[in-house]
Amino acid sequence: MEKGFGEKKYMVELSEREVEDLRNSVKATSLKLMDEYIERMKKTWPNRPKIMEYFDEVAKFFGTREKEILKAKEEGRKVIGYTCMFAPIELILAADAIPVRVSSGIYDTTKLGNRIVPVEVCPVVRSTIGVGMIGFSPHLEVSDALITPLTCDGMAKLSEILSDRKPVWTVCPPRLKDSEQSMRFWREELQSVKAKIEKLTGTKITAKKLKTAIETMHRATRAFRRLQELRRGAPVIMGRDAMLVNQTSAWDDIERWTKKTEELCSELEKRRQEKILACAPDTPRIMIAGSPALWPDNWKLPNLIEEANPQGVIVADEFCSGDRFLFDPVGVDEWTMDDMFNAVAERYLLPSTCPCFTSEDGNVDRVNWLKARIEERRVDGVVYHVFRGCMLYAMEYTRIKKALDKINVPVYYLDTDYTREDVGQIKTRVEAFLEMLKSRVEF
Amino acid sequence: MSGDNIQYWRWREYRLTVPSVKWKNAETITAGIDVGSVSSKAVVMVDGEICSVSVMRTGSSSPDSAKKVLEWALEGTGIKPTDINYIVGTGYGRVNVPMANSTLTEIACHAKGANYIWGPTVRTILDVGGQDIKAIRCDEKGKVLSFIMNDKCAAGTGRGMEVLADLLKIPIEEMGEASLKVEEEPDPVSCTCVAFARTEAVNLLRRGWSKEKVLASYMRAMALRMCNLLERVGCEKDLVITGGQSKNIGIVSRVEKILGIKPLPPPNWRENGRDPMAAGAIGAALFAKALYEKNKNTT
Repeated sequence: MEKGFGEKKYMVELSEREVEDLRNSVKATSLKLMDEYIERMKKTWPNRPKIMEYFDEVAKFFGTREKEILKAKEEGRKVIGYTCMFAPIELILAADAIPVRVSSGIYDTTKLGNRIVPVEVCPVVRSTIGVGMIGFSPHLEVSDALITPLTCDGMAKLSEILSDRKPVWTVCPPRLKDSEQSMRFWREELQSVKAKIEKLTGTKITAKKLKTAIETMHRATRAFRRLQELRRGAPVIMGRDAMLVNQTSAWDDIERWTKKTEELCSELEKRRQEKILACAPDTPRIMIAGSPALWPDNWKLPNLIEEANPQGVIVADEFCSGDRFLFDPVGVDEWTMDDMFNAVAERYLLPSTCPCFTSEDGNVDRVNWLKARIEERRVDGVVYHVFRGCMLYAMEYTRIKKALDKINVPVYYLDTDYTREDVGQIKTRVEAFLEMLKSRVEF
Repeated sequence: MSGDNIQYWRWREYRLTVPSVKWKNAETITAGIDVGSVSSKAVVMVDGEICSVSVMRTGSSSPDSAKKVLEWALEGTGIKPTDINYIVGTGYGRVNVPMANSTLTEIACHAKGANYIWGPTVRTILDVGGQDIKAIRCDEKGKVLSFIMNDKCAAGTGRGMEVLADLLKIPIEEMGEASLKVEEEPDPVSCTCVAFARTEAVNLLRRGWSKEKVLASYMRAMALRMCNLLERVGCEKDLVITGGQSKNIGIVSRVEKILGIKPLPPPNWRENGRDPMAAGAIGAALFAKALYEKNKNTT
C-alpha cells in the first residue's frame, strides 16, 4: 500500500447516507444534462452521421463503457486513471492495464470540492475533488491507481487530495523542456512510474509489449489526425462532435475507438467529395484556445458558439483533452527497450505546448502550434478560454494575443468556470464576437 | 417607515418625436428595440433618420417591455406597427422581442449607433448600462474591431446608482452634480459591488461622511473600473460614452479626468433624438434598414 493512501487528510467525513443522496442527485442531473447536450448536438447537425451514436454512448457516463471496464476488472485487469495528458499511456497499455482519464467536467461536484478548497481554485480540480468525495465519476471510481502529473499548482495539490481515496503515482514534468538534465529527470520519473505499473499489474513491460502498445497508439494517432485533417476545409463535421470524439478516446478501448474513428472519417471523406456540409460554408471558423473544455458541463462554451446567432463552427481547439491529446506519435528509431522507452518519454515532454513550461522564448512552441493550426484550419477568430483560477493559461494570454495580433487574427478572452448561471452573459460576448467576424451587414 | 414615498431611484422615462421627419412617402420605416436589464429603448427611423424615440423602465417581462416601448415610440406619429418594414431587437432581452425580424448584440448596435450620433471620428465607445459595462473599439463605419465587457456582475453600473439613490435619498438625476460638490476627491470605495453598496455606504455615513462625499467615492471607484476596461481595450480618440450613465456628469467628468481624454459631448438629443442612452436602439434601427434593403435586393 502506498504511504498516506486512505488516510483522510483532506476529505470531509460524510455519512454513507449522505454520500448516497449526493451521488443520486448528481447522477440524475448529469445524466439528464448529457442526454440534453447530445440532443442539442444532433439538432445543430441535422445530417449527423449514425456512427456518431457510438461516441455518444461512450460519452454517457455509467453506461456500457463503465460496465465493460468493470467486467474487465472482474477478469483481473487493472485500471490506471490519470489526471492529465503527461501520463504515458503506452506504458499503461503495455502492462495490459486500462487507461482512463479522470479529470472531471461535472459542475455539481465542483460545489462539493468547495468544501475542501477555495472557490478560486480551477473548476477541473474542484470538480475532480468532488467526484472523489462521493465516488461519483465512473472513471475515478474504477481506477486501481492514479498517475498524477504535477503540472500546475492545482494539479499538484489535487494529487495529494486524491491520495485520500486512491493510490497516487506522481510524475513531475520539469518546468524546462529543452535541457539534457530535464530529459534525464523526466525519464527517471517515468521509470519509477513504470515500475509501479508493473508492480500493480504483475505484468513486466517487455520490449515486445511496449512495441505493441506504441503501435496501437500510432494507429490511434493516425485516426485522430485524419479526423482533425477533415476540419480543414468546408465544414463536414461540427466542432462539438469532433471534440466529443477526441474526448472519448480518453475513456474508450483505444483500439475500438481507432476503428470507429476511421469509420467516421471514411463517412466524412465521402461527404467531402459529395459536398455534403455540416453547416453553411461561410460560417465563422473558430478556434478555442486555453483551458480545456471538459464533457459534460464545460460543453457550455462550445454549445454557445455552435448554437449562436450568428452561428460559429469550432474547427480547432488546443485542449489537452482535445486537439493536442493524441496529436503526437512516439518517434522510435530502434525497437530496443531503451530506445522505445526514451521515445515515449520524449513524446510526452518535447512536443507538449502546455503553459506549465517556461522559457526565454516565451513558450514559442505553443505560439507556433497555435499559428500552424490557425493557418491550416483557416481560423477566423480565436476564443481564448480561461478557467477561473487557471493561472498559467491566464498569464500566457497577453503573450498569445500579441503574437496573434501580428497575424491579424482576432482573439476574445473569455473567463468562466463550470457554473450554469453565466450562460446569458457569455452568450452576448460570444455572439458579439461572431458578429464581428461575420459582419453580416456591410454599409 | 419615514412615510415618504419618493422613489429617488426613478429616472425620467420619456418619448419624443422629431417633427421635421415626415414618413408618409418614406421608402423604409424601420425600428430598433433595445431591451436592457434596467431600461428599454425604441427608435423608429424613416429612411435612416430618427423619427421618434422612447425610453422606459424594463418590466419583469421582456416581450411586454418590447411591445410597450415600441408602442410608446409610435404614439402620436401616426405610424402603425404594420407600417414598419423591419425591426431589429437588441440588448440583454433581445431573444424575447417577439416582433423582431432579426436580432443583433448590443455591442454591434452601440458601435453603429455611436457612429450615427457622433459621426465617423468615433473610435472608442464606453457603454455603461444597467448591469454591465462594455468598452468597444470600432472603425470609421461603426464596425466593431474589438470589445471587452466587465466581469459577470453588476458592480459599478446603473443599477448600483439606483440602489445608492434610494439609500442616500438623492434623486438619481441629481447624483452626478451632487458628487462633484466635494472639496477634495475622496479615495474610491473598495468595492463597487451592488450587493455590498448599501453596507459600504452606510458605514461611510456612520463615519461622518457627507452624502456627497460618499457619492464621490463611489463614482470614483466606478470611473476607475471603466477606465481600466478602456485601457485594456486600448482607448483611441474620439471617445464617446453611451448608455444610461452617459447622463451622469459625476461619472463622465471623472472618466475624463482619470483618462486625460475628453469624451465627445452628447449632441442636442432632445431635438434630434440622438440620445446616447438610446445608442443601441439607434444602431438596431440602422441595421434594420440595412437588412431590409439587403433582403429586398436579394428577393
